[in-house]
Amino acid sequence: MITRADTLVIAATLLLLPTLFLAYWGNHAVADTAHIMAADGREFTLPLDKDRRLTVNGPLGATTLEIHHGKIRFIDSPCRGKQCIHSGWLSRGGDFAACLPNRISITLSGRENRFDSINF
Amino acid sequence: MNKTAALFHRCGPGLLLLVLAALSACSTPPPETTHKTRLVALGTMVDVDLWGVDDQQAATAIQAVQTELDQIYQTWHAWHPSTLTAINKKLAAGDAVTADQATLAVLAKARRLSIDSGNLFNPAIGRLIALWGFQSDERAQDRPPPKQSAIDRLLAKPPTMEDLVINEQTLRSKNPILQMDLGGFAKGYAVDRAIDRLQALGIHNAIVNAGGDLRAIGRHGDRPWHIGIRHPRQPGIIAALDVQGDESVFTSGNYERFFDYQGVRYHHIIDPRSGYPARGTLSVTVIHPDAGTADAAATALFVAGPKGWRQVARHMGLTQVMLIDSEMRVHITPAMKKRVFFHGKKLPEIIVSTP
Repeated sequence: MITRADTLVIAATLLLLPTLFLAYWGNHAVADTAHIMAADGREFTLPLDKDRRLTVNGPLGATTLEIHHGKIRFIDSPCRGKQCIHSGWLSRGGDFAACLPNRISITLSGRENRFDSINF
Repeated sequence: MNKTAALFHRCGPGLLLLVLAALSACSTPPPETTHKTRLVALGTMVDVDLWGVDDQQAATAIQAVQTELDQIYQTWHAWHPSTLTAINKKLAAGDAVTADQATLAVLAKARRLSIDSGNLFNPAIGRLIALWGFQSDERAQDRPPPKQSAIDRLLAKPPTMEDLVINEQTLRSKNPILQMDLGGFAKGYAVDRAIDRLQALGIHNAIVNAGGDLRAIGRHGDRPWHIGIRHPRQPGIIAALDVQGDESVFTSGNYERFFDYQGVRYHHIIDPRSGYPARGTLSVTVIHPDAGTADAAATALFVAGPKGWRQVARHMGLTQVMLIDSEMRVHITPAMKKRVFFHGKKLPEIIVSTP
C-alpha cells in the first residue's frame, strides 16, 4: 500500500534525479571561471556569468577582454599578429588562449577541473 | 509490523537518498596538493606543476627551472643574438666553428633525429623559415608569403643536417645555405633539461608544460596525471589520456602559428621538400619518454602527412602517434588508441594502423 509519505519520497527522488545526473554525469566541459594571468604574475579570477569588459596591461600596452554569456574572448590587443583575437570565444573547461607578445593568458576552468595539464 | 519497521518502510527510500548524498559528498576531491606555477620562459608560458612538495622546495625548484630555461633560450634562440646565431654566422661565412661539448651534443642529437626522420624534421632550413617570416617575434599579418623564385633559390641545393660536420671540438658546414633553426627540437630539449633539474632536486612527481608541450614524471598522489589534448579545429579538448612514470606528450598543430594572406592560411610548419607549409595535416601528437625526440617526431610526422607518417614513425622507432588529417580523420597507432579517450558528442572517424 502506498502511503502519502511514500508518494512524497518518490516525488522527491524523481525531482532529485536530474540534479544528481547533471552533477555527476553532466557536461563538465562548461566553464564557469576564467583565470587571467599577466606576465608580472598578476592573476585575476573572474566568474563567466557576469558580462563585462576588462583591460589588462602588459609590456606592449593594454589588452581588452570581453566576458559575455558565459564566454570570454580577446577583443583588442596592441600585438601585431592578433593571434589572440583569432582564438575567438572560449567557453569550455580547459580552453586556453594567450597573447604571447603582451604576455597575457586566459585559462578556463569548470566546476570540476578534470585535467592537470593541456597539450596542444 | 512494529513502529520502527513502519518508520523505515515509510522513510527507507529517503534514508537511502540521504546516505547516497553523504557518500557523494565524501567523494569530492581532497584539497589541492599541487604547486602550480606559470613562468614566462622560452618566449612562451611554461607551467610547472609539482606534487607533494613544500613551499620552500617548490620555490627552489621553480628558480632552478627558470634559470635553466633562460639559459637555453639565450643559447639556442634562432633570431635573437645567441650562441646559435653566432654559429650560423660563421658557418655561412664558410668558417669552422669551435664549440663546447654541451653545445655540440645538442646539435649532434638534433642531427641524428633529423637523419632518422628522413630530413622531414630539418633544422638546417633556417633561411627558409626566415623567408616565410616565422623568425620574428611577431609576424605582420599583412606581409605576403615569399615569392616562388626566392623559395626555389633556397631549395636549389637543399640544406640538411647531413651537411653539418661535427668533429670533436668543431663544426663545419658543407652547404652555404645551411642555417640552423632548432624550432621543433629546442622546446623538447628545454623541457628535458627542466625535468632533469627537478629530479636532481629530489622532485619526482611533476609536469613541465612549455606552451602546450609537456613531460610528466611520477604521479599526482594516488592517481596518474590527467592530460587533455586540445581539439585542432575548435576550442576545448578532443581527447584525454593519463600519464605516469615518465612520458612526454608533444603536439605539432597548424593552429599554433600562422598568418592569413588574401584568404589563404599559411602555417609555420614548413615542408623542407616543397618549401611551403606542409599540407594534409591538422595536428600530430606523439608520446615518447624523451621530450626532445617527441618534439622532433611531431614535426617530422606533421610534414610526412597522412600518407607518409607511418614510414617515418617506423624509422624513428615511435609506437604512440595520433595524426589528425585535414578531413578531421584520426590516424592512430594501436598503442596510442589503447590509452586515448575521445571527447565530444560526435566521435571523429578513427583509423587504427601500425607504423
